[in-house]
Amino acid sequence: MKKKSFTMLLTALLTFSAMLSGCGNSNNEAAADPTTAPATGENTTKAAETEAPSEKPTEIKIMLPLNTTETPPDTIKAEVEKLTNTKLTYQFFPADTYEEKLNSSFATGSLPQVTYLKNQTTFIQMKEAIKDGQFWEIGPLLSEFPNLNKLKPEILNNTKVDGKLYSLYIGRPLARQGIIYRKDWADKLGLQPPANTDELLAMAKAFTEQDPDGNGKKDTTGIVDRNELTYGAFKTVSSWFGTPNTWGEVDGKLAPEFTFQQYTDTMDFFKKIREGGYMNQDFAATSKTDAVNMFTSGKAGLYIGGSMQDIDTLNKDLIKNFPDAVLDTHSMVADKDGKFAQWMIPGYNNVVLFPKTSVKDEAELKKILTFFDKMMTPEVANLMYWGIEGTHYTVEDGKAKPTDDKELIEREVKGYKDSVIGEAETNGMYLSLNVLPGRIHAEELVLENVKVGVPDPTAALDSTTYTEKGVELQQIITDATYKYIYGQIDKAGFDKEVETWKSRGGAQIIEEYNAVYKK
Amino acid sequence: MQEATAQPGSSPDLEPRVYKTSSELKKRLWRNKLLYVMLIPGVLYFLVFKYIPMYGMIIAFQDYKPYQGITGSDWVGMKHFSRLFTEPDFLNILMNTLILFGMNILIYFPIPIILALMLNEMRGNLFKRLFQTLFYLPHFMSWVIVVSISFVMVTMDGGIINELLAYFGFEKINFLLAPGWFRPMYILQVIWREAGWGTIIYLASIAAIDPGLYEAARMDGAGRLRQVWHITLPAIRGVIITLFILKIGSVLDLGFEHVYLLLNSMNREVAEIIDTYVYTAGLRQGQFSYSTAIGFFKSIVGLIMVVSVNKVSKKMGEEGVY
Repeated sequence: MKKKSFTMLLTALLTFSAMLSGCGNSNNEAAADPTTAPATGENTTKAAETEAPSEKPTEIKIMLPLNTTETPPDTIKAEVEKLTNTKLTYQFFPADTYEEKLNSSFATGSLPQVTYLKNQTTFIQMKEAIKDGQFWEIGPLLSEFPNLNKLKPEILNNTKVDGKLYSLYIGRPLARQGIIYRKDWADKLGLQPPANTDELLAMAKAFTEQDPDGNGKKDTTGIVDRNELTYGAFKTVSSWFGTPNTWGEVDGKLAPEFTFQQYTDTMDFFKKIREGGYMNQDFAATSKTDAVNMFTSGKAGLYIGGSMQDIDTLNKDLIKNFPDAVLDTHSMVADKDGKFAQWMIPGYNNVVLFPKTSVKDEAELKKILTFFDKMMTPEVANLMYWGIEGTHYTVEDGKAKPTDDKELIEREVKGYKDSVIGEAETNGMYLSLNVLPGRIHAEELVLENVKVGVPDPTAALDSTTYTEKGVELQQIITDATYKYIYGQIDKAGFDKEVETWKSRGGAQIIEEYNAVYKK
Repeated sequence: MQEATAQPGSSPDLEPRVYKTSSELKKRLWRNKLLYVMLIPGVLYFLVFKYIPMYGMIIAFQDYKPYQGITGSDWVGMKHFSRLFTEPDFLNILMNTLILFGMNILIYFPIPIILALMLNEMRGNLFKRLFQTLFYLPHFMSWVIVVSISFVMVTMDGGIINELLAYFGFEKINFLLAPGWFRPMYILQVIWREAGWGTIIYLASIAAIDPGLYEAARMDGAGRLRQVWHITLPAIRGVIITLFILKIGSVLDLGFEHVYLLLNSMNREVAEIIDTYVYTAGLRQGQFSYSTAIGFFKSIVGLIMVVSVNKVSKKMGEEGVY
């Protein structure tokens, strides 16, 4: 008897749970990802299916990283919707944690129709999935859209996967790296901007030892750097030493940059600077925020890496503390043979992909591309990049001059600014009107940099092992580089780490890159 | 948790009743219908957020490709687990995790108890409240802020602690990069942020002690320390053991954020723990199956620990968590 009633109870429970899971399933689409913004997924697809060729606005869901603290209001969005005849749903996620958001949405199959990645690294990580056919190929369709067709072929080429184009790119100048330095300090000490790496060292030394801020205390330092080899000072200085950009050619074969003598020279350079106390001693543990704070609080005189265009924001915060401070930019630093070089990014900052899970058919894809085609008209591009004329910017000499209310731009425009496809040359938007002399100088240097630019030969190449393990393996080299600079290992120790890198998959990466490089 | 149903009778009310006919059961179900309705949200919560997601664990045995889904991905058996166990750094990472966990248990765990006892002995309600609030406020700061504050204090470039060391003629210490300083920094930050918060439950259970007991003890001439030792501590023993068992369950789960923020190229050999490894090797490269396998491993270790510690505590005559 006891058994029977127990079975009954069990049956009741089972029925109950079956009912529950039934409910669960029907709601799956909406409930799959509770963290995304209001789910309009069902509406969107329905609209796309039933839409008559009338002027009903296309509904598009867009996911993108947000580089400010607040989600922007709909001011700009409303205008864009009017101009492009769309109904847009933006899902902004903080850039700091965007990779995780991207991966988890991807894993649960809940990426929206338009998915912005975060940077080149996330793009490389996504390559495996792209090859798997999880995103729409857009290459063959591009010629149907007059504005999208203007995108630069050489940069599109850098974003191809297995020779096919899946993405639109957000353009960036090819080589924005250089030095931002305290011109007022240099003038006071009678120093010229460094013409070669020796003079760079001398400047860092002088900024540390000769009391450039004149307060009688030895409380300044030369270079401020952070825990980042690529976008910090290391890679930029390394390219001045003549190190190839990520990969270089030896006897017709590709080899990773850290196997080159110039890479070691750069490590020695930083070792000397750190040991002399000419840079922040904790740079291996310093975040970007802390590094920027050191610079804007007048403790350091040289900020290398990142982008020379950052001078605007650095200047803004620095003159709050030191009204007399003057900043300038500089980038042409020669190696010991007097040669100039500058590493280049592949010309894009980020790309946008169209997942097959949410874009159901080619007709829907074309509708979305129509939106992007309109985004590449000067009218829409200006709106998204600069904001509303008269409110967020004014036009002077055919250039955009942002309003002084930086907070307003930060709040209302910045979120959309980072999503504009192409660059001013292709989408026809206004160039910026610069007033800060250092910034004007930076714009000239960006063009100069390209003339001596060194591209990454693997930018358009694929290596399965790299996609799978590259990030993890790179960690070995990054750690070894810091340890060398801090004097914990010597050259032999560094070479040993390189061997570890090779044995754990690096050798395969070399092989795979060379196999496709020859073609 | 199956243990709970396998060992009925710990409390007579919970003993399953036997019904002669199914109609009697129906009647009873109907009579208590409101109770069952109240059960629904709880059951739903566990089903939707705890049990259904477990289904996803099977990707640990697959080469999971999101587009193909769980049904379409290839089965690979224990491949990801063997990759984890043969990883050259695995032993080191596991050791780092266990050492940090051991420090949590040995150094951090007693502190909230001691703090709670001390707070309880304080005279004057106002002061008591003030101190209690001061102690648990840090809990509301994120790890980013806690780590940034320590960075500013201990950096070699003008951090106050190093400046003081230099002023008194000592060598500056590279707290942030020296592998030897990672663990002390870690545990100090944990204590600073969490100790006050941890006292809340202990204080609540101390408040529930019958004041008559203290009165009687005082009559018998017991001093304050005696009272603490013979009344307060035994009274909260059950709570201490429960919290201890729960803590043991999170043995490999130290909280990713805190360690990740402290981690850098120079202290990786002592600072890389399972959680940070999952992040670099698994999530940042989109290796979902591998990450899930590691998560699976962590949960199993946690389960084993909880079950065994619970067994031990029951053997010793304590209540346990179930």
